[in-house]
Amino acid sequence: MTVFKTFWKVVKKYKGTIILYTVMLIVFGGINMATGDNQIDFVDSKPDVLIVNQDEEKGITENLINYIEDNCNIIDLEQDEEAINDALFYRDVNYVIYIPKGYRKDVLDGKNPELDIKSTGDYQASLAEMMLSRYVETQNVYVKGLENEADIIKAINDNFSKKTSVEMISKLDTGKTGKATLYFNFASYSIMAVVIFIICLVLSSFHEKTVNKRTIISSINYKTHNRLILSASFAYSVIVWALFLIVGMILLGDIMLTTRGLVYMLNSFVFTFCSLTIALFISTLVNDKNAVSGIVNVVALGSAFLCGAFVPAEWLPDTVLKIAHVLPAYWYINSNDLLESIEVIDMTTLKPIFVNMAVIIGFSALFIVVNNIVSRMKQKVG
Amino acid sequence: MFLHNFKYSLKTLFRSKMLLFWTFAFPIILGTFFNMAFSDIENNEKLDIIDIAIIDNEEFENNQMFKEAFETLGDESNDDRIFNIKYTDIEEAKKLLDDEEITGYVLLEEDHNNITVKSNGINETILRYVVDEIQSKKEIVMTLMRSDIAEIMDGAEAKLNNISNKNLSYTMIEYYTLIAMACLYGSMISMFITNYKLANMNSVGKRTAVSPIHKGKMLVGSLFASYVVSLIGIAILFVYTIFVLKVDFGNNLALVILLACVGSLAGLSMGVAVATLIKAGENAKTGILVAVTMFGCFLSGMMGITMKYIIDKNVPILNMINPASMITDGFYSLYYYDTLERYYFNIASLLIFSAVMILVSYRGLRRQKYDSI
Repeated sequence: MTVFKTFWKVVKKYKGTIILYTVMLIVFGGINMATGDNQIDFVDSKPDVLIVNQDEEKGITENLINYIEDNCNIIDLEQDEEAINDALFYRDVNYVIYIPKGYRKDVLDGKNPELDIKSTGDYQASLAEMMLSRYVETQNVYVKGLENEADIIKAINDNFSKKTSVEMISKLDTGKTGKATLYFNFASYSIMAVVIFIICLVLSSFHEKTVNKRTIISSINYKTHNRLILSASFAYSVIVWALFLIVGMILLGDIMLTTRGLVYMLNSFVFTFCSLTIALFISTLVNDKNAVSGIVNVVALGSAFLCGAFVPAEWLPDTVLKIAHVLPAYWYINSNDLLESIEVIDMTTLKPIFVNMAVIIGFSALFIVVNNIVSRMKQKVG
Repeated sequence: MFLHNFKYSLKTLFRSKMLLFWTFAFPIILGTFFNMAFSDIENNEKLDIIDIAIIDNEEFENNQMFKEAFETLGDESNDDRIFNIKYTDIEEAKKLLDDEEITGYVLLEEDHNNITVKSNGINETILRYVVDEIQSKKEIVMTLMRSDIAEIMDGAEAKLNNISNKNLSYTMIEYYTLIAMACLYGSMISMFITNYKLANMNSVGKRTAVSPIHKGKMLVGSLFASYVVSLIGIAILFVYTIFVLKVDFGNNLALVILLACVGSLAGLSMGVAVATLIKAGENAKTGILVAVTMFGCFLSGMMGITMKYIIDKNVPILNMINPASMITDGFYSLYYYDTLERYYFNIASLLIFSAVMILVSYRGLRRQKYDSI
């Protein structure tokens, strides 16, 4: 019990740093999800289009604008070239259409005038271009075939009004589960960074030379000592985990209270435990307080980048994903990604997730064993 | 005296392993992570070939226009190919869709066309547009009823002229924020070395404070050493990002170097200001510098590229006083814009930022006098 109590005494000593760091990373995860600017993850099937119209908004021109407005998200922006270029670069706009002066007249004269466009070249832009080309093509054909402007417009609109019927077989709203996955994937970074940083910081006091020598000559076995440290830091990790869940509940709402939410929680719990065993292992290896922050950043950021905490795993190159298999975070994130798209939750669909959890627990066991071996070796030297 | 100080400051700096890790190694490690994570993103955003199935029933066999259109769109020798098509029956198609082997399947019925998909998405939308388009062409042929219809349709293609800038790779911003971070981490070097000149921080500081030498001269020597060290770090980072990570900084190398030097100066001045103005231990000062730098990088897009755009658009003043954003925006304007006004605006902002920081620390440092007790 002495060891357990001492752990919390040291925690108290570092109160300021611990609260700051814990709150910062939790808030960070919250902000990241709330701004939802992971444009990579969320794909709207309507491209964002900006129209710069220098022609009068009448007849043919008006109809073109209406058509684009009906089928795309129109972005309202100050019409200044620099603002447009910036918006294009940061993918706020996928496609810009410049309608030149006298467009309507030229079209009616059968000239097929050229349109200037700007494009990001991604698939939303390709879609916008498909829509625009199809419209202009249809318009040109009707201009040749019919005389009157009103007839042309009517013919175009009649033609476009016939849409193919689309049947959707999936009932799952992936928007909501996608948000949960985004949050929990990011949490893998925050949880790992907080747990490793704080536990290493606290334990470095235990590993101070004089303190360490005293511990070694005490009657307590090094295994018991390690176990007590483990349980004390476990208590701290549970607090961190609970904080993440509370923030998650505030941000995600009712999805956390479903069976799916429970699996998310269980998964993150297993991962928190694994981070804790990594933390203990690192603290045994490294005694230097100053080195801790460097190691934390490399380990936590590394596993976050390689396993898909920041960038969805499906976007990562295959070689990176193969390397990531040796990191616990990969299995954790894989479960979250699976949870996003499972429609019916039962034992069969959950099986791969439980397999992933077993792998993470295997990792934890490995770290505990290696930690014991290393601390025993260190003891002999000391 | 200047040279003496310069030499010993250099020695001290190169012996501090922690400092070297943060300013030299960490940006390179982070850059490597960026490269691993982001290298495929933009390729993934290009249009892929979409797997679909078509129900090969009687209606489809009789519908010449659909048959021909899908044949071209699914032709493997065609560069504009967008579909990989399986012709099959409805049971098979349902199974393929369930296994997520295809995006959706098309079923032609007597009076209308039917598409079945699993969920919402861009590929599904494109599939629908293509089917719509073929149908609308058929419609045109039927309503116009003209003999020269093929001729008219041939000349009707839309003429589009792409005038967008060529450099549109937005992941470059990540690497620009990385350089910004490295420049501002230089503040740790100057803070560390300034502490050696402060009597309340360090026993060496006490010694220098009582020595009969002009403090300013000594400080300038040390700061010059820290500037050299941080420039070496930046140079290594540049070599790594340009030759290993293949980051594109645009074509004007001289201006890139100028920006890096001015950016480093901003970092240096920030470090001096924190060292002289804030009365706290060295760890607290480091903490403040790291926090300020990381928050600045966060606002300029390191943790999500659109963050910079959101700030620029809605609270531009925030990024005008944020040195990380000035550096990032400077690189961005060199990469993306042909004109240099925006670049020089950023250079000027950085110089003003540095001047203010140095002025403030000069005033703070000048008043420090110690009475004999």
